[in-house]
Amino acid sequence: MKKAISMAMALTVALTTAATTVPVMADDPVELTIWSPTDTAAIEAWWEEKIAEWNEANPDIQVSREAIDRSDSYAYDNKIATAVTSNDLPDIFYVDGPQVSYYAANGITVPLDDYFSEEDLSDFVDSAVAQNTYDGSLYAIGATESSVAFYYNKDYLTECGVDVADLDSRTVDNPITWSEFAEIAEKCTTDDYVGAHIIMDHGEGLPYALEPMYLSAGKDYISEDGTTSDGYVNSEEAVTTTAYLADMIAKGWANVEPITDEFLNGACATMLGGSWEIATLTENADFEWGVTYYPVNDDTKEAVSPCGDWAAAISKNCENVDAAGQFLQWLMNTENVATYAAAIAKPATRISAYDEEVMADYQEGNLALIKEQLENTAVPRPRTPSYAVFSSAYAEAMTNIFSDAASTGEVDNDYIQSELDVVSDTFTDDYETYYAE
Amino acid sequence: MTKSMQFSAKFGKFMFYFGNIIIGIIFVSPLIWMISASFKPEAEIFANMDSLTTFLPVQASLNNYAEVFSRLNLPQVFKNTLLYIALILIFDLLVNSMCGYALAKFEFRGKGAILNLVVALMVLPMEAIMLPLYIEMSQLGWVNTLAALVVPFIAKCFSIYMFRQFFYDIPDDLIEAAAIDGCSPMGTFFKIVVPISKTVYATVFILDFVAHWNDFMWPFLVMTGEDKRTIQLAVQSFFGTNPVHYSAIMAALVVSAIPMIIMFIFMQKYYVEGIASSGIKG
Amino acid sequence: MAKTKKLTGRKRDERIAAYIFVTPAVVLLIAFLVVPMIYTAYFSVFRYQIMRPDAMKFIGIENYIELFQDKNFWQALKNTVYFTIIVVPFQCALALGLALLVSKKFRGVAIFRTMYFSPQLTSMVVISVLWSVLYNANPNTGLFNSILTSLGLDPISFLNDENTAMNSIIFMSAWQGAGYQMMIFLAGLQGIPRDQYEAASVDGATKFKQFLYITLPGLKGTIKYVIMITMIQAMKLFTQPYIMTQGGPKNSTKTLVYYIYSEGFQRGNFGYACSIAAVFFVIVVCMSMAMKKVTTSTE
Repeated sequence: MKKAISMAMALTVALTTAATTVPVMADDPVELTIWSPTDTAAIEAWWEEKIAEWNEANPDIQVSREAIDRSDSYAYDNKIATAVTSNDLPDIFYVDGPQVSYYAANGITVPLDDYFSEEDLSDFVDSAVAQNTYDGSLYAIGATESSVAFYYNKDYLTECGVDVADLDSRTVDNPITWSEFAEIAEKCTTDDYVGAHIIMDHGEGLPYALEPMYLSAGKDYISEDGTTSDGYVNSEEAVTTTAYLADMIAKGWANVEPITDEFLNGACATMLGGSWEIATLTENADFEWGVTYYPVNDDTKEAVSPCGDWAAAISKNCENVDAAGQFLQWLMNTENVATYAAAIAKPATRISAYDEEVMADYQEGNLALIKEQLENTAVPRPRTPSYAVFSSAYAEAMTNIFSDAASTGEVDNDYIQSELDVVSDTFTDDYETYYAE
Repeated sequence: MTKSMQFSAKFGKFMFYFGNIIIGIIFVSPLIWMISASFKPEAEIFANMDSLTTFLPVQASLNNYAEVFSRLNLPQVFKNTLLYIALILIFDLLVNSMCGYALAKFEFRGKGAILNLVVALMVLPMEAIMLPLYIEMSQLGWVNTLAALVVPFIAKCFSIYMFRQFFYDIPDDLIEAAAIDGCSPMGTFFKIVVPISKTVYATVFILDFVAHWNDFMWPFLVMTGEDKRTIQLAVQSFFGTNPVHYSAIMAALVVSAIPMIIMFIFMQKYYVEGIASSGIKG
Repeated sequence: MAKTKKLTGRKRDERIAAYIFVTPAVVLLIAFLVVPMIYTAYFSVFRYQIMRPDAMKFIGIENYIELFQDKNFWQALKNTVYFTIIVVPFQCALALGLALLVSKKFRGVAIFRTMYFSPQLTSMVVISVLWSVLYNANPNTGLFNSILTSLGLDPISFLNDENTAMNSIIFMSAWQGAGYQMMIFLAGLQGIPRDQYEAASVDGATKFKQFLYITLPGLKGTIKYVIMITMIQAMKLFTQPYIMTQGGPKNSTKTLVYYIYSEGFQRGNFGYACSIAAVFFVIVVCMSMAMKKVTTSTE
């Protein structure tokens, strides 16, 4: 009887207010919706299993997930933007690491500090916590990480007279330097091969994969507090770093427009590639290959590596933040993080997850190296609400600089300076228009 | 006919086919490449791009298709897509041809203004009105419903203008004759004009079908959930997070192109039964 | 005025019918194109971060002032106009040529039409990815450059040089888009009565003369329509630079619609993007009205 009344009430409310969501009744379970990008069959199956498990154990909090078929991250951001405009946001949605600050600064997401204590977070790698923290609060929490390392084609390098055993024996304290990198690239550039692959793509891949170069040389893209780019991305150090990279293009050691799978197809000798390449190469490569740590600047020897991956955030439209927080606590427990990371073939954010059996591959070999980089040298991308603006401006500038180097065959530092100044101006313009006090 | 004339006719025919085949190959090569890539393992797709062997699947296998079929609920996806496109096209052909006909053959106040409006609105890029249109859908409560996919795309300026241009060329005598026989303007349109204009209807059908079949951004914005997926959303689901596997993408793209190719070939029959064969313009 | 009062019964029927015929389309156009367009114009006078609609701030014509001083805008306008001027004649001529090849019925005609139309049936993503590789600057990976070097010529960095990038996109776009206009020409060609050709060939007119004196005049309306829609579609160029060059190098392939998209959606500068959209709209409407005037005055 009670149920019938409450149902009748719910129906009346729904009819009279014409609202699309039925208000939460005392007896009704809380309903939570999650948006996350569509992924491989293994991940889709993981979600199905985990959500069923949660829903059975928690009849009062019922969760459902919608897979979002994003084509690129801009399309995904568009969907979020349109949903924001009409308050159609789901309760929980996934965000790419460097976008966390953007959503947080615009009030799209809410802080998660109440659900993840400092003690909880101490089990997460520092870089993952840092990437998801904005203005002192945690705004997103993810299960997986990423990294970039230096891949080399052993068969071909041996042919070119490079000491492969030396590369294999490097440690996190003794990575190869920029000049060693350039030397290998030069040695291995022939009619059929280019020495190196340094352009991951012409979008976010550029700032993501190349940031450690700048950090190792002493200056990040943006100031630590995320407010200033002038004197950072256009600093003298940044110009030198960019010139080093452009020089590889100018000398023909790296392609200005590398094809997809350049390394896998045996068209380049070495590559700065993402941690996900390990799985692709293991499965497909028909040559011997190796991975070592991200190269360091000759003078500073400062070891840095990229990181960051998608993470879950709670939206401002969530009516029951507590329930969503509880769910995220459970979703990010050690076992779930381990099984998720294993299914998606990415390194986990939780240190304890590596002790789980499904993550056994990370104990040694190439994957252990990725884990080691994450625990020791990973630095997140700048935490600033204007990151997307910076990222697209930087990618554009680098494309121009590389094209210029490729067509003239030489590196023009004044031109590099002028392009990086434009990046800085673009960033400053956006930051001051929308976020400066 | 002399032998030499026979020979030159045959030679002409040969050259005609030869030319068509060469040009045809240039146009169809990406489709061939896509089909060939869909049978290749990941490592082979971008290998040998400097030679013509890239157009041949050397180690052909059906693995990529197996992945597509296992990851996607294809019957559901095709049903969703065909349903929404069919609804758009039914109303598209009716509403726009009527409007085009009125603009071509009727005299009424406001005609010039409407024609100008149609031309002006042709210009609007979807990118410029996407967000406001979404807001409108949300206010109407249409987000995540079929209405958001169909209703805003029924009236199309390109179609109206194309119908207008073609109806304009229909001889007035024919319409006069029907009126003298006591046909109402509406009767004339449906009984006389539509049957002799199959070609233009087929053209609009093909062009709009293809445009909607390839549309990604709008269905992506207004539809959420696997059960509501359209074909392009299904294809884009393979461009997940890194690494992107082009092998499965190619197979998904081939699967998504098949209905369009069938539709296109099927519609060809309306191109030989057009105005020409009925000879109304003579 | 006196004339309209003395409408005959038929004229009145026709007028009523006319309103019945145009109303559904006009209502839909107003609801789903005019209304959003008004919204866009409205947003263009605000400072509007796309993620923060509640913090919209009225700033008058500031966006427009900024726009007219923005060298990226002028560059995008220049690129768009350049693309349009080159691609329209090229693509229309190609489309007409293809249509003539397959306008008559012969064995296998449906297959050839499908082949010529097939770039329209192939995903633009695949076409762009494939052409990026064909155009690749490295002769080891790019087919075109591998041909050039085997002929003893220097390789060209098609997409990576600001002098060749737009031309490379033009060539590819004409090839990709011609099938669309070909279908419209085919429909137009079906409308030319066959007996005119028969009479001409009895009189001994060559194929070329038949084309000049029968086909071209018969297609006059179609040609004008095709030129106009090709021009409008060309002005809206977006996908090819978005996938192939991201507007670069050195802004050489940044078009107006690309600029609208990158400002509004990638950078979230939505109010500003709306002001670009509004100016874009005015420019293209003026161009197409001029085109329409030419079209209707000679009809």
